[in-house]
This record gives sequence, structure tokens and C-alpha cells, in this order.
Amino acid sequence: MAQRQRRIMVSAVLLFGVAAGMVGASFAAVPLYRMFCQLTGYAGTPRTENITRTDRVADRMVTVRFDANVNSKLPWAFQPLQKRIEVRPGEDVLVHYEATNRGGTAVTGTATFNVMPDTVGKYFNKIECFCFTEQTLNPGESISMPVMFFVDPAIFDDPETAGVTTITLSYTFFPVDGPQPSGAAAAAAAAAAPARAGDS
Amino acid sequence: MAYGAAVAHDEHDHHPHGWKRWVYSTNHKDIGTMYIVLALIAAIVGGVLSWWMRLELTEPGLQFFDGETQLYNAILTAHGFVMVFFVVMPAMIGGFGNWFVPLMIGAPDMAFPRMNNISFWLTAAGLTLMTLSLFVGAGPGTGWTVYPPLSSLAFHPDASVDFGILALHLAGAGSILGAINFIVTIFNMRAPGMTLHRMPLFVWAMLVTAFLLLLAVPVLAGALTMLLTDRNFGTAFFAVAGGGDPLLWQHLFWFFGHPEVYIIILPAFGIISQIVSTFSKKPVFGYLGMAYAMVAIGVVGFIVWAHHMYTSGIGVNARAYFTAATLIIAVPTGVKIFSWLATMWGGSIEFKAPMMYAIGFIWLFVLGGVTGVVLANAGIDFALHDTYYVVAHFHYVMAIAAIFAMFGGWYYWISKMSGRQYSEGLAKVQFWVFFIGVNVLFFPQHFLGLAGMPRRIPDYPDVYAGWNFVSSVGAAITVVGTLMFYYVIWHTYRYGKTVSDANPWGEGATTLEWSVPSPAPFHTHEELPVIGPTGHHHSKPAE
Amino acid sequence: MRRVSLETVFGLIALLVVGLVLSGGAATAAEPVPGLSRPWEIGMQPAHSPVMERVHEFHNLLLVIITSIVVFVLGLLGFIIIRFNARRNPVPSKTTHNTLLEVVWTAVPIMILIVIAIPSMRLLFFANKAETPEMTLKVIGHQWYWSYAYPDHGDLTFDSLPIADSEIDVKAGQVRLLSVDNPVVVPVGTQIQVLVSSDDVIHNWAVPSLALKKDATPGRVNETWVQINTEGTYYGMCSELCGVNHYFMPIEIRAVSKEAFASWVEEAKQKFASRPQPAVAAAQSSEQ
Repeated sequence: MAQRQRRIMVSAVLLFGVAAGMVGASFAAVPLYRMFCQLTGYAGTPRTENITRTDRVADRMVTVRFDANVNSKLPWAFQPLQKRIEVRPGEDVLVHYEATNRGGTAVTGTATFNVMPDTVGKYFNKIECFCFTEQTLNPGESISMPVMFFVDPAIFDDPETAGVTTITLSYTFFPVDGPQPSGAAAAAAAAAAPARAGDS
Repeated sequence: MAYGAAVAHDEHDHHPHGWKRWVYSTNHKDIGTMYIVLALIAAIVGGVLSWWMRLELTEPGLQFFDGETQLYNAILTAHGFVMVFFVVMPAMIGGFGNWFVPLMIGAPDMAFPRMNNISFWLTAAGLTLMTLSLFVGAGPGTGWTVYPPLSSLAFHPDASVDFGILALHLAGAGSILGAINFIVTIFNMRAPGMTLHRMPLFVWAMLVTAFLLLLAVPVLAGALTMLLTDRNFGTAFFAVAGGGDPLLWQHLFWFFGHPEVYIIILPAFGIISQIVSTFSKKPVFGYLGMAYAMVAIGVVGFIVWAHHMYTSGIGVNARAYFTAATLIIAVPTGVKIFSWLATMWGGSIEFKAPMMYAIGFIWLFVLGGVTGVVLANAGIDFALHDTYYVVAHFHYVMAIAAIFAMFGGWYYWISKMSGRQYSEGLAKVQFWVFFIGVNVLFFPQHFLGLAGMPRRIPDYPDVYAGWNFVSSVGAAITVVGTLMFYYVIWHTYRYGKTVSDANPWGEGATTLEWSVPSPAPFHTHEELPVIGPTGHHHSKPAE
Repeated sequence: MRRVSLETVFGLIALLVVGLVLSGGAATAAEPVPGLSRPWEIGMQPAHSPVMERVHEFHNLLLVIITSIVVFVLGLLGFIIIRFNARRNPVPSKTTHNTLLEVVWTAVPIMILIVIAIPSMRLLFFANKAETPEMTLKVIGHQWYWSYAYPDHGDLTFDSLPIADSEIDVKAGQVRLLSVDNPVVVPVGTQIQVLVSSDDVIHNWAVPSLALKKDATPGRVNETWVQINTEGTYYGMCSELCGVNHYFMPIEIRAVSKEAFASWVEEAKQKFASRPQPAVAAAQSSEQ
């Protein structure tokens, strides 16, 4: 009987541990989800880290369209300076988005992004961008935000993406609550823009 | 075969009386009874909420909710939570599970009787908080799926959603503790000779259900906590502006949510196996197939969650995978349906009320299940996602099939629980009224969904008026059928014949609960029964 | 002489009721209007896009399969009830196994599922195929209306607000809960890339007759495609619970000839030019 009591207590502790582990796993989902998307380009996540460069360029082009959205709580005008570009996979491309604070106070915004179709994510490499960086703009201030990227030519080797003719890169700006540094943030972002021009 | 005589020691028992007997109960039968009473009360709450909605939907235009559509959204939310967490789960798991798992395996009680009590009171507290949430602020108008940002502080600035979250934390904790109790009891406290492969299928069902609860409910708890901190402590798990993702909630919620629906239906499968076997006077066909089909359904149920997310923007390969995985579940489910049919084949069937409900379950679960097969296909989901087709599907499998199993279980086991038998005539009338009611109520909803009517709306374009009216008529008939059930309960306790035999069902009832007296004494199996070589325990047939 | 039991009577009545309910629809349906359902409809709305046509075909296949399964199980149950009731079969058999049967009822469902899965995957990949789009339509969900933008047509942007019940003009062909002040106008026979997002909570942009249904999620842009076969007006409703007016934020699409579309674009640019930029307007007015 005592032996059975012991088995009962051990089972109970083990099962409690399983339940606690599952709670932990659901919290772990947050960073794991992020890492998985980064690694596999899942859900249209472009590559922003661990980018490998090759000298290879593809023999045909893809059209890259640029999409811009602003949350209505952020009083900014935000658009791409070019709506679409013909791009040769393998070559670096530099494009710009422009944002203007049309409101009456200094506001900080941050942007989220994804590419479509989602299978293209792992082939879309962003070298420099303003991604999640918080940008603060004074009233009336405008800023030109560069995005430098290249499309990996391996995109045409993958049967899933070989037929892709159009890629859409989409950004959405949101307001951020919190302390507002002055235009120093905007100046720093502009300084980070590389000097190369690479559009075709 | 020999078994220890289970003698009732009631007069010499020092168990408490009066209110303490219930509030401090550590007795699996009393706790089971409390869960059933809780479910019966919650069913009135959940039923009134759905009746109110159907009243509004009888005709186009807003008759009851003009200017009050937030209340409508809160009512549909509460209806879902109450029915799932406070009616079906307490009745089948807390109620029938607690009552009959120890009896069926020859155990004197559950492994942790005090924890059993805590589980019950946590659930009762959860029901209270959930009901209160309707009266706090504007009510939680998020749907039981609680998707942010709608459920975030920005769009639900009062405490109603927080009440709902806390209600679910309490009920969830009760479920997790209950699951641990069932698993430990079933693994460690079976009577000598009762190997796992000799356990009644109801016990197998409870075992698989308990594992699903253990693995899925904590994920809900994690997600709910994240929502709570997003709403109240400035975190940004789901808030885009803070770097979060609304889709994270959907993945976490449905990772819990899909196993949850198997948690609801597996105990029903167990009950149906017991009833079909008893009234066909044959053992269940293909016992091992039945047991492992339930295990397969439980396991595969964990890897299909994103079929609830086909239009959320997940990639085409993910949609293809989830379509395939979801379709696969039809195979073990089909094995079960055919096994029940094969059990009845060659049997000597008596069509008493429990069996009528079981037969109704088999057919109507197939009907609801096939619309699930349709919905599994991501390629057709654009036509059907978030329409009344989905509403029809899940009500067929939950509100019809699972409820049929609950009614069937009540009719089957009431004499053991109360010592009185129900009136067969009344039960049969109740069955037919309810059967007609739920079919007239839910079948037309397939048409509404195919025609494009979205769900969770208090008013609809005039073109959907016809079938909505029919559905509301069905709701009225269902209300009558439900009230009749409550009448039968009352009638049984007031006028039901006291049963003289431990087993009123004859040679088909071979599980251990039929070997103890009716009503089952406060303590049973105090001397463990010994299960003989054939694995079956026979009681004396009724005279 | 066998007495007809109470169960039999009730059972027949139940089946009769269910049968009436089923057949009622087909008899009384009126003429279909493109892009809208009709009273007592029992099926999907008529298809007006290539994807929706295939959805219809696939659904018909599924309907045949699932109806057969339901009827088959009902038939088996009916036979069992008649043949194996206690009066007719007083001694139950002892059979609890039959390996062949168990193999068959595992294998046959698998085969049926394969028959379903193949066209299912074909439909899924067809609907998802990214052909070169000829134009882009941006759709943004708000509480509780949709706004549209045409990035390829000079950034034309406008809001599409539902028309209140009291202002619905039935004679003008307007439909309660479905008509809007500014419908989305698109050209027929054109591959359109639709980008869907939201400004606040999750909505869902849906047009059943065109097989369109995509979540509009803030912070995320979802992509879908449509090509409309015939000119006409197509309606849809928001398909994700989004607050108090979830039921009242409809979608109305007018598909017109390519020439008519080109001239509409010019008119619309004039008409909506005087509107201030959406972002500023929203920032200056308070929400809700």
C-alpha cells in the first residue's frame, strides 16, 4: 500500500510538471516563433540576419512592388518613392520610402513589414532598412528612409518560387507611446543609409 | 468468479451531513453529483442566452438589440463559454467521470479526494465570474475565441474581458487538477486483474481526455495570461505597435482550442460505447481498435489547429498540410462509428431511452462529422469560413451529439445514482421532441452558411429570412424538449420507482458499477473486487 | 398483426419534418441575382470568378460523398433496428472481432479521403497561384467600414460606408445591410491583386460569389487574387467579429468593362480629391 502511495505521489508530481511545462512552452512560443520565421522566411518574413552573399546574378527579372500603410492614429503621410521596380535577383537595390509628420506634435512611429507571396520570404534579403527602428518626427518634418535589399537568385531554382514574377514588399507604420526624443533619432537613421546606389 | 462483497456501511460511516457534506466533500459520488447540478444550472444560463439570440434572429431587423449590439456580442461570447466550460465538460468529465471511473475500475475513490473538491469549487467560481462578466462594463463582446486586438484594452476598455479571463483561469485550473486526478487514479488504482486492456471504454475515454486536458489547458492559461498582461501591465505579446503579433494569439488559442473539442467529444464516445454494448447485450466490437482509435484521435487532434486559421494569411503549404492532417482524423472516427454499428449487428436490442439517444448520437454525429470533412479543405474554406455552415457543423457535433450522449448517460445511470428509475414513456416523448427540435434548429443553418450568411451577427440581409425563421421555430421546440428533460429529472426523484436490483439493464450491463447497490452507497469497493480471467464481471440479471 | 409502436409513429413524424425542411428550399427559390443570394437558398451563391466556379465543382463532389455516407449509415441503422431488435433476435451473437471487416473499414475511408484530397489540393493551389496581376486593389478594414485604394491609379483612395436602413432606396436597387455609398469599382476579366489590412481590429473582407475571404489584420498585409467574369454588382459582409457594427460593414463591388473602369477612375479622382488624407483626418477627429 505504501508502495502504491509513493507511485501515486510520483505520478502526481510528474503530471504537474507536464502542465507547468506546457505553460512554459506557450510563453516560449514567442521567441521560438520569431526565430523560426527568421530562419525559414515563413509567413513572408524577409531575411534580415545571416545573409549570405553570392556573386551570382539571375538571367531574368522580377517586378518588386512597394506598398505603404499608416495606422490612422499616426498623423503621418507615408509612401514609397517608387511604386515598382524591375529587379535582377543577385543585384543590390536601394529604394526609399518617405514619411512626413502632418500632425501638430512630435510623434514616434515604428513599422512592421512582410513580403508577398509568403514563399518568397527566405529569398528576400534586406541589407539595410528602417524596420522596427523607432522614428521620431517633429511637426511638419519629413524623412527619407532607405531600404537596401537583394533577391537571392536561388529563387528561380526552387520549384515553389520559380514562377514568381511579382514580389510585394509592404510596410505599416504605427504610433509608439512613450518618451519622444527630438530629431536626433531621425538624423541617426539618415546617417545609417549606405552611400551606394544600386537600383536597376 | 469471486469478488469481495461490497457491503454498505452507511450507518457506521462518519461522513458529514448537512451543508458540510457538500462544501467539504471528498467523496467522488457527491462531487460527481455537484458537477451534474452545476451543469444543469449552467445549461439554463447558456440556454437562455441562446434562446435570446434566436429570438432576435427570427426576423430581419433589430427587435431586441437595437442600439445594444455590444450586448448581443457579449451574449454570444458567454453562451459559448458557458456551454463548453460549464455545461458539457462538468457534466461528462466532472459528473459522469467522477461518479463512474472509480466504480468501473474497482477503486474506492479518486486518488486525490481533496483535490477533487478543489477542482469542483474552482469550476463553480469560474461559472460565477463568467456570468458576472456580462454585467461588468459593456460585457465581453469578443466571441469565445477572444481575438486581440478586439479583446485588447484599446477596444474593450472595461473589466469585462478581464473577468472572463479570470473565470477561465479558475475553470482551467480546476480542469488541470481534475485531469491529474483521473490519470493517477486510472494508472494506479485499478482493482487486481483489471489490466488497462480490460478497462471499460468509458474509462479509456476519460484517460485520453485527461491527457488532452493536461497538455492543452495550460497553453490556454499561458495565452490568457499574456492577454491579461497586455491589457493591464503594458506588455505587447499581441499588440503590433509594441512588436507583438495578433496571430500569436490565434496559434496559441487554437493549439488549445482544437484538442478542446476532442475533450468534449471523447467522454461522449465512452458513454455511447457503454450504452450500445449494454442494450445490444454484446461486448463492444473491436475493443482494442476502439481504445486506440480514441488515442489516435487525441494525438492527431494536437497537430491540426490551424484549420481554424485558413483565412488569416498563413501560407499555402501550411494550409495544405493542415488540410491533410485534418482529413486523417476521419479515419479513426470512422472506425468507431462502424464498430458501434458492428456491436449492434447481431445483438438483441432493447430500445430504451439511453439506446435511443445512443442511436441518435451515431447518426447525428456522422452528419455533423461529414460537414467537418467539408470544412477541413482549405480550398473550399473561403466559401465557408465564419459562416453559419461552421455554426451548423459545431452545433451538430457538440449541441446535438454531445448532448445526446449526456442525456443518454443520465437515463442510463440515474438509477445507480439515485435509486430511482425514470419513466420510460416520458423519456421517449422527451427524446422525440428534443430530436425534432435540434434538427429543425440546426439543419437549416447549413443552407444559411452556404448562401453566405456570416456568423456572430444580430441582424442579416432580408434574403436570409426564410431559414432563420425555421431555425428559430426549431429553437422553440428545443426549449420545450429541454424543459421536458428537467421535468423528467424532477418526476424521477418525486415519482420514480425505487429500483430493487443493482442492475436494471440485464445481461448487457457487465461493468462494475452494476455490481454495487442502487443507489450506490457512500463508500463502495472498500474491499477491492477481483477481476477474474475473462475480464468480465457478471452481476445477477434482473428478475 | 404487428402493433405500430409509439416509437415508430414519432420516428416517422420526425423524418417527415426533417424531410420537409430539406425539400422546402428547392421548391420556393426565386430567380438568382448575381452577387447576391436568394430567399430559401440551399446552396452557394452563383459563381462569378474562376476560383468560385471550381469551388462549386469541388463542393458538388463533396456533397455527393457526404450525402452517400450519411444515407449509408442511416440505412445500416434502419436495418439494424428492424432486424436486430430484441423481439426479432432474442439471442445476441458473441462476435466481437472480424479482421477483414476492420481492415476494410479503415482502408475504404482512407481511399475516400484520397479522392477528396486530390481535387482539394488542386483547388487550393489554383486559388493561391500568383499570376502576373494587372492591377492592385488595397482594402483597409476599419470599425465599421471599408476603405479602398488604387495604388496603380494615382493613389485614388476613398471610404465605402454602409447605407443606413432608413435611407435604403429599394427602387434604386439598394439592399438593406449590403449597399454602400461608394462601391469598389473594378474592371472585368482582369487579374487583380488584392492587398488586405486593417487599421484597428481584425476584420475579414469577403465576397462569397467571387470566393474571396481574407482576414484584415492590423500590422500585416494579406494578399489575395480575383478575376471577375461578368459585369454586375457583388455583395459581401465582414467575416470576423469586430465590434458593435460587425454585421453592418458590407462590401459592394461593381465590375464594369475596362473602358468604363478607365473613365470611372478619372471621375473618382476628381470626386475624392477634395477629401483630406485619411491619416490626418483620423488623427484630427476622435475615434468612436
